[in-house]
Amino acid sequence: MVRSAEKKRRAVVSESVFAWLLVAPAMLFIAVIVAWPLAETIRLSFMEAGLGGETYVGLEHYQDLAESKKFHRTIVRTFYWMFLSVSLKLVLGLIGAVLLNAAVPGRALFRVLVMPPWVIPIAIGCIGWLWLYNGYFGILSGVAQKIGLTDGPFEFLAYKSSAFYSAVVTDVWVGVPMVTLFFLAAMQGVSRDLYEAAWVDGAGRWYRFRRITIPQIMPVIVSMSLLSAIFTFNSFEIIWILTEGGPRGATTTLIVDTYKTAIGNYKFGEGSARAVIIVMLLGAFSLAYLFFLNKVNKKYGVK
Amino acid sequence: MKTMHITLGAALLSCSALTAQAADANLHFIMCGGEVREADQAVVDQFIADHEGVTVNLEAVPWGTCQDKSLTLAAAGDPPSIAYMGSRTLRQLANNDLIVPANIDPETPFQDGVLNTVTIEGTAWGYPHAFSTKALYLNCDLIEASGQECAAPATWDDMYALAKGVVDNTDAAGVGLAGKDFDNTMHQFLNYLYSNGGVVIDSATGENMLDSQQTRETLEFYGKLVDVAQDGPTAWERDQLKDLFNDGQIAMYVSGPWGYGQHNEDINQLVAPVPAGPSGESGTILITDSIVVFKGSGHEDLAHELAQRITSGDSQYDLDSSWGLTPILDYAAMGKTDLYYADGIWPNFTATISTGGPEPLVEDFKSLQSVFTNMVQGIILKDDTVDNLVTIAGEELDEAL
Repeated sequence: MVRSAEKKRRAVVSESVFAWLLVAPAMLFIAVIVAWPLAETIRLSFMEAGLGGETYVGLEHYQDLAESKKFHRTIVRTFYWMFLSVSLKLVLGLIGAVLLNAAVPGRALFRVLVMPPWVIPIAIGCIGWLWLYNGYFGILSGVAQKIGLTDGPFEFLAYKSSAFYSAVVTDVWVGVPMVTLFFLAAMQGVSRDLYEAAWVDGAGRWYRFRRITIPQIMPVIVSMSLLSAIFTFNSFEIIWILTEGGPRGATTTLIVDTYKTAIGNYKFGEGSARAVIIVMLLGAFSLAYLFFLNKVNKKYGVK
Repeated sequence: MKTMHITLGAALLSCSALTAQAADANLHFIMCGGEVREADQAVVDQFIADHEGVTVNLEAVPWGTCQDKSLTLAAAGDPPSIAYMGSRTLRQLANNDLIVPANIDPETPFQDGVLNTVTIEGTAWGYPHAFSTKALYLNCDLIEASGQECAAPATWDDMYALAKGVVDNTDAAGVGLAGKDFDNTMHQFLNYLYSNGGVVIDSATGENMLDSQQTRETLEFYGKLVDVAQDGPTAWERDQLKDLFNDGQIAMYVSGPWGYGQHNEDINQLVAPVPAGPSGESGTILITDSIVVFKGSGHEDLAHELAQRITSGDSQYDLDSSWGLTPILDYAAMGKTDLYYADGIWPNFTATISTGGPEPLVEDFKSLQSVFTNMVQGIILKDDTVDNLVTIAGEELDEAL
């Protein structure tokens, strides 16, 4: 009886059709949200497209970008911004997670307190930082003057280096809570038996951290690094609110440059070429990164 | 006979349908600035009352997003009927065939230079509606505290000496400079360039005139002013300088007529024309916002009529006087008496109209803006020499044109 019912079901919908039906909504979703805009962006990158229409120009935009020293500097700056910011987020996130994982009274409260930078809207947080960095009305410059660090107001966002590093600090401030909480969750999943066994064997605190905690949470570190790198690479609103890419392009990363070109100047073709380059760079970076981290994982014994 | 009746009936029906279509016109009016001024609203109300069945959907949008909204709506084939926006966008709109030329009465007594802000190669593309000129504001309390007499500086040398005196004898900065990645960094620079006889684009030939001795002198003066300005001008835009002025942190800065009312009442302020450079006489940038009629809305004629009404003598005077704008028309020539701009601070803003220069009209306005911010920030940050910066700016402007 049961067997005949099964046969009947198989006769109605074959297994492969059923499988396709299951994945169809997701595929449709991806096609509309990801594939079509990507294809359209690639198409536009071969066009001179503005408010007045489109004309085919082939590889002209790519050739211009290949020859532009300004664009090369933007690429280097973007990667520097990403490496610096992601490294700081990972290091601070790890330290934060270790501290929050420690058996101290009021641990839950500290875990809640670490979240605001992540929870409040980024724009609001950045406007707060804008005031902090203000040389005449901001608290940072005020305190620096008070303790004699500077003899007058210092405008953090007015100079190339200080503006760049100020933007990094804000980006790290926004990004650290998420990294911390992910690492904390991973640390809580590490078996206590391992620590106890190591402790019995006389392993010190640092040794336990290096030999147990890090290898155990390595898969999370790997995925978090990649996610954080992509977020940071494409981080737009923080830079835009603080400096709009200035002064003199010192905080212009690829995504800011793309926005200025495509949306600010209505040069949709040139903007699309930049967007395609971002996709290619991030794709190549992700592949290289995964390859490299795969090796690291093997070393740490994580499959 | 029967066929004739049917034909007549159909013709009558189609006529009435056409009438109904015209009468039922709904004009979409985008008003940049985020609010509808009373004087404009009164004209719109009267316009609706005079045209039965015509409605006006007046949408006030903040400046930050307004121009982009109008542009993208038009580019997407759903243009507003009419919009009030910065005249700087006119070339972009006209070159992309999104707007129609304005029907301005040639007898309209516009102030000198006003029509240049909306005219491209002989065709006016917008109805100028709001006009501004700039002048120098001085905080006399600060200047006197530095042991100097608070008198209007006539030349750049006088201005620098006054600012230096403030820096040397008080904790405040001598002058407020705008250098942020923002449009008014260019505007502020042009106030000085036009006060030194400089030209950006020749209005007759469209030629790029930026790479000149006058620009070099202006940029050099800007570099000199940095030493007596507030810390980090590249982080400041003009409207923020008002806060520094109110806080007694800067002794001077350049702003529009609205600045007077925005300053603290307890500040003893003096207004003066922008000082003259070595190669010119005191001038100002002439900026207008204008009403534009978009192409393809289906009721351009009605839109033209509304634009003409809004920018006509009485309602325009109402707007200029109630908002404290530089007079866009020569109201004295129109027979108006008891003019609001006859005395007080106003002569400082009207005297330089004839020597002022327009906000350059180019298709890619943002690129023009970045040519200037790049040059001005270059000298503020001492990145390069005046010569190189001006040469590069000239080349970049060529690319932007």
